[in-house]
Amino acid sequence: MLKVEKLHVAVGEHLVLQGVDLEIHDGEVHVLLGPNGVGKTTLLMAIMGVPGYEVVSGKILFQGEDLVPLSMEERAKRGIGMAFQKMPPVRGISLQTMGEIILKTHGHDGTVHLEEEAERLNCSYLLPREIGIGFSGGEAKRAELLQLLWQRPLFSMVDEPESGVDLDNITLVGKALRELFEREQVRTKKRSGLVITHTGYILEYLNADRGHVLMEGRIVCSGNPRDLFEDIRVKGYGECLRCER
Amino acid sequence: MSGVEDTLREIRERAEKALEKKAPLGPDVDLTRFYECSPQERLGSLEEIAAQLREAALYAGVEFEAPGAGTYLQVDRSAVYERVIKPFEGKLEIMTVRRALELYPELVTQYWWKLVPVDADKYAAFTELCFTEGYFIRVFAHQKVEIPLQACLLVSERSRVQSVHNLVILEEGAEANIVTGCASVRGVDEGVHIGVSEFYLDRNARLTFTMVHNWGERFHVRPRTAVHMEEGSFYSSTYVLLKPIASLQTFPQALLNGRDANAQFQSIIFAKGDSVIDIGSTVVLREQGCRGNSISRVCAIENAAVYTRGRLIAYHNDTQAHLECKGILFSPQAKIISIPELEVHGAPQARLSHEAAVGPLEEETINYLRARGLSKEEALSLLTRGFLNVDIPGIPLALKRYIEEIVAMTSRDVL
Repeated sequence: MLKVEKLHVAVGEHLVLQGVDLEIHDGEVHVLLGPNGVGKTTLLMAIMGVPGYEVVSGKILFQGEDLVPLSMEERAKRGIGMAFQKMPPVRGISLQTMGEIILKTHGHDGTVHLEEEAERLNCSYLLPREIGIGFSGGEAKRAELLQLLWQRPLFSMVDEPESGVDLDNITLVGKALRELFEREQVRTKKRSGLVITHTGYILEYLNADRGHVLMEGRIVCSGNPRDLFEDIRVKGYGECLRCER
Repeated sequence: MSGVEDTLREIRERAEKALEKKAPLGPDVDLTRFYECSPQERLGSLEEIAAQLREAALYAGVEFEAPGAGTYLQVDRSAVYERVIKPFEGKLEIMTVRRALELYPELVTQYWWKLVPVDADKYAAFTELCFTEGYFIRVFAHQKVEIPLQACLLVSERSRVQSVHNLVILEEGAEANIVTGCASVRGVDEGVHIGVSEFYLDRNARLTFTMVHNWGERFHVRPRTAVHMEEGSFYSSTYVLLKPIASLQTFPQALLNGRDANAQFQSIIFAKGDSVIDIGSTVVLREQGCRGNSISRVCAIENAAVYTRGRLIAYHNDTQAHLECKGILFSPQAKIISIPELEVHGAPQARLSHEAAVGPLEEETINYLRARGLSKEEALSLLTRGFLNVDIPGIPLALKRYIEEIVAMTSRDVL
């Protein structure tokens, strides 16, 4: 579904990604690990096409099509979605309005139920609120995932779904992720995703297929996400640079 | 009667002396080039209003197909229609201010030019000397008029002046919503509109006043408004201007003269073209428990210049008021100048505050919406709409929807 080849991405003057290779097949969910500041978010932003994340060289192929020349909205319409790490304040636009716009934009009117999804993520009370204004960490994460559930992208990227979320809410977040990738359902369309995680909590809920460690601007190690996590927990990220898995 | 005549003569003399007195704010408008012509004939029913007037009224928020509790319609210099619908007869009266002064001469000594000084500037003076009607609305004590009262002031002739003087009285415990639409008909792009409005709110009266302006691009508009508020009264004013205009200058005043009076001002401005807009509000908090709020949301595009002013003046310790101005600039030539003034006179416990922010729409927010599949233009339009849709307390739902609609229409059009 998604293939990233020798991707180099600059943010301003700084070359953050220096040759990332990554392939995610239909129906697969991968997790991306790595210390702070190595460029995990940059990779997601570059795939989404957020201005300011400049692809210097390399390719991002989605279902065989090169995404690099496409705008963010064109990528979104092709089935790429993203739950941001930080929800910006969007004054004057309620979560409900956003939901209506998403359903309309993505042609899910009538097939995806705005209120039902909100109810499942304990977000009903957030619907009339302006997006990102006065949201707690957990509320922001749930509202981000809720928007992805409304959008139902073929390929979802989720940036640190568990950060700032208390233990009660982790279950909800996990449930949302499971639903997003339809891990427990049989559907004709195979949805895929890439999830950034720091803590590994989310692996309890997300039956991820593969994990990658991003360091020094490239993927230095890939493998079973649980094993990777265990190794990192014991030996730290430094070991990843030496290890040739 | 001699008291009334003396008062009128004195008013006239003061006006004559002030006819060339420039206003301290806003571009100066030469009024000498305007002349009066004969009054128009009165309409028997609304059916007779030409389609173009109907359209102009609609764009200013007044719908004749769904008449309010009471309706006043003025075209150019004459009132053409005033009526109170049956269920509200006896609860309120609505008529031309000229007729009201004939019927109730005591209005002259009690209310006429008592809040807005006739010699405040040339526009006020001109209105007295070249008086072209205006509405009189009185809601009787303890009457609650839930359906909006509509007042519509239209200009159908090119390069003319319309100078109206309105008087609104809400007696004790009365409640009303007044929607005023002021507009020029399509094709009439030049003219001057001066509106002097004096509102009197007796004890515990509540007035929600909404004014929507929709003028031609070369119109100069000078509203002069003041509100006298007694104990426990509530006044909410919403001003909406979304179309280009040559110039607008207004600085309405709410005088909170009784305990626990509460005044709220909201302005929603979308300034386009070469518009010069100077808009503000003054809240004078004289007594214990008085509260005030003044909010403005301004979008400036193209070469527009907008001055947003706010003045809060406290005379009592137990008073509280807040000013808020938020502006978005859409072009390098557009200007927003926010000027807050807080004055406390011998009341060190009074709480006055202000907050202002002018800047572009955040790139991060635009990108956030684009990631959901909206184009940049759609995102800008949506954010502008969200920005201008102020949550206005006490405003009727239908009116809120209407404002949302015109904001949506405007933000779609211009971006």
